[in-house]
Amino acid sequence: MLFKIAWRNIWRNRTRSLVVIAAVAVGLFAGMFIMAFFQGAINQEIDSMVQTQLSHIQFHNPAFIDDKGVNDTIANGHAIVNRLKKDPDVRAASGRLITTGMISSSSTASGVEIHGVVPEDEKSVSSISKDVIEGTYFTGDRKNEIVMGEKLALKLGMKLHNKIVLTFQSKTGDLTAGSFRIAGIFRSRNSSFDQMTVFTRFDDLAEILGTTTEMHEIAVVLKDGQKSDAVAGGLKREYPSLLVQTWTELSPQMALLSSIMDQMMYIIIGIILLALMFGIINTMLMAVLERQREFGMLMAIGMNKPRVFMMIVLESVMLTCAGVPAGILFTALTVGSLAKHGIDLSAFSQALSQYGFSNFIYPVLKQSMFVPVSLMTALTAVLSAIYPAIKALRFKPAEAIHKI
Amino acid sequence: MSNIIESKGLSKTYNPDTIPVHAVNNVDLAVEEGEFTALVGPSGSGKTTLLNLIGGLDYPTGGKVMIEGVDITKMSENKLIDFRLKNIGFVFQAYNLIPVLTASENVEFVMLLQKTSKSQREKRAIELLTEVGLKDKLDKRPSELSGGQQQRVAVARALASKPRFILADEPTANLDSASTENLLDIMAKLNKEDNMTFIFSTHDQRVIDKARRVVTLVDGKIVSDTKK
Ligand SMILES: Nc1ncnc2c1ncn2[C@@H]1O[C@H](COP(=O)(O)OP(=O)(O)OP(=O)(O)O)[C@@H](O)[C@H]1O
Ligand SMILES: [Mg+2]
Repeated sequence: MLFKIAWRNIWRNRTRSLVVIAAVAVGLFAGMFIMAFFQGAINQEIDSMVQTQLSHIQFHNPAFIDDKGVNDTIANGHAIVNRLKKDPDVRAASGRLITTGMISSSSTASGVEIHGVVPEDEKSVSSISKDVIEGTYFTGDRKNEIVMGEKLALKLGMKLHNKIVLTFQSKTGDLTAGSFRIAGIFRSRNSSFDQMTVFTRFDDLAEILGTTTEMHEIAVVLKDGQKSDAVAGGLKREYPSLLVQTWTELSPQMALLSSIMDQMMYIIIGIILLALMFGIINTMLMAVLERQREFGMLMAIGMNKPRVFMMIVLESVMLTCAGVPAGILFTALTVGSLAKHGIDLSAFSQALSQYGFSNFIYPVLKQSMFVPVSLMTALTAVLSAIYPAIKALRFKPAEAIHKI
Repeated sequence: MSNIIESKGLSKTYNPDTIPVHAVNNVDLAVEEGEFTALVGPSGSGKTTLLNLIGGLDYPTGGKVMIEGVDITKMSENKLIDFRLKNIGFVFQAYNLIPVLTASENVEFVMLLQKTSKSQREKRAIELLTEVGLKDKLDKRPSELSGGQQQRVAVARALASKPRFILADEPTANLDSASTENLLDIMAKLNKEDNMTFIFSTHDQRVIDKARRVVTLVDGKIVSDTKK
């Protein structure tokens, strides 16, 4: 019956209660929407980083990480790539030659990282081949083809099929150069990557570098990215002389971003609830004060203080928690629909894609958020009820009843 | 017959440090089981204060109140709440009922506080409301009832806890004469048939006429005490 009384009491002042319920619902919606938005942006960013640059696991010569020396190679690279392709956990593996150098057109030059790749392998570890907007991703048999980002092509003032010159250090330490024809131009989601990275065939680059079967990097994509740590652990034991890293190790800031996001969520929701708390305290205080006589009467006829306290807390919890399902439902609906269609940010896209973010954000609502958010709200309700409830307990029945 | 209520040198002084008001001044009053007592006197004579002291709603500044030999003025606030629940029924001038509950739920509420089983609560609520003539108003909320009907629900509620006696502070003050007569008849009937002890304060001569004992207060002192 205490529940019944509490529930009905909420509806005594319908407008006031609805305002609180709406405030809770809107507050939760706002909090969760912001979180879903950033979670979506981060997930996309991680996916894009994994697809274009990181892959799930990478192999390097430990020395290569520091200064990317031409000779810091993985000696038996081809054997390892072939071995990895047979691994049941591995979807694809691709060996790369990587060197830094200059790319020059007739008018200007720019520093770049040159990736020598085996196109058939690379296609299945990296999404760059799908990002080609002009020309093709190494389809012909012609020698010395290059694929570069749109940004870089614009900067160099070059078009498809134009020739450029790559200059870099060979294996023996001499400066060497090669002339390449632009076979394809891509536009990935990360414009700084587009401006910094060019692709050639593995064999073309090896010939100029003076290498044979060595490689600088092996990128591995797993069938299940969640298993990165486990698979990498096995590979580390198998190749103790090589540096085997997962994408979280390769880009710790990405992994960090993900975990910071979770903490941010609680902070944002906490701030929203703190603000709501004052509204709830105010409402409950009004509800208690205008019912002084009633509380006096209840205590007079024998309702003890713990029960009075409980009733006020119950009222506060019901009032507050009525807003939770509404907020969650509304969030689930809006975010659910936006998760399909995305939020178009093309108005701000210049700045965003500069930082590697996509024009379209697909918000991601973590189901795991609902339970802690609901609990936090319920806790807020209980905390908000304490002061008004203490106020009510201080009423003296004799005085409360006769107050007009 | 033994006294269920007995006050000795009972006093209540408001504002003892500034302008003291001796609302109840050294009152000795004994009430036996089965009495039907009216407390009368001019406004401000201390009727409400005396009833509050006897009912354990307030602490005296002097003297004591014995309920069946137990001094309730020594009890803690929490103990008193429990004591009131078990021993005393109250009917106030107004705001007796929980507005969000129906008549029968209001009557059940005290029994709920006493941890009576649901089936017994429901049965007794119907019985009591029938007794006060509200059989057809069980599911009405206080706002849907007339003042007289509300007071009758309050009497039923007061009876529900099976108290030793019922205190009523001006129960008819807000009622028209027909409702007043009706409420008093019900109270008198309960007094006669169930031997329920009533003490009620009033200004109303017709109510005074129905009482079997009339205690008159002036300036916090008993000036006359007549039994019919
Ligand atoms: N809380 C209080 N503080 C100070 N004085 C009070 C308080 N309550 C009552 N009094 C005073 O005590 C005296 C007795 O008041 P009480 O309410 O008991 O009278 P009453 O007989 O019930 O009057 P009425 O017929 O108007 O209800 C009055 O002088 C009143 O002003
Ligand atoms: Mg009075």
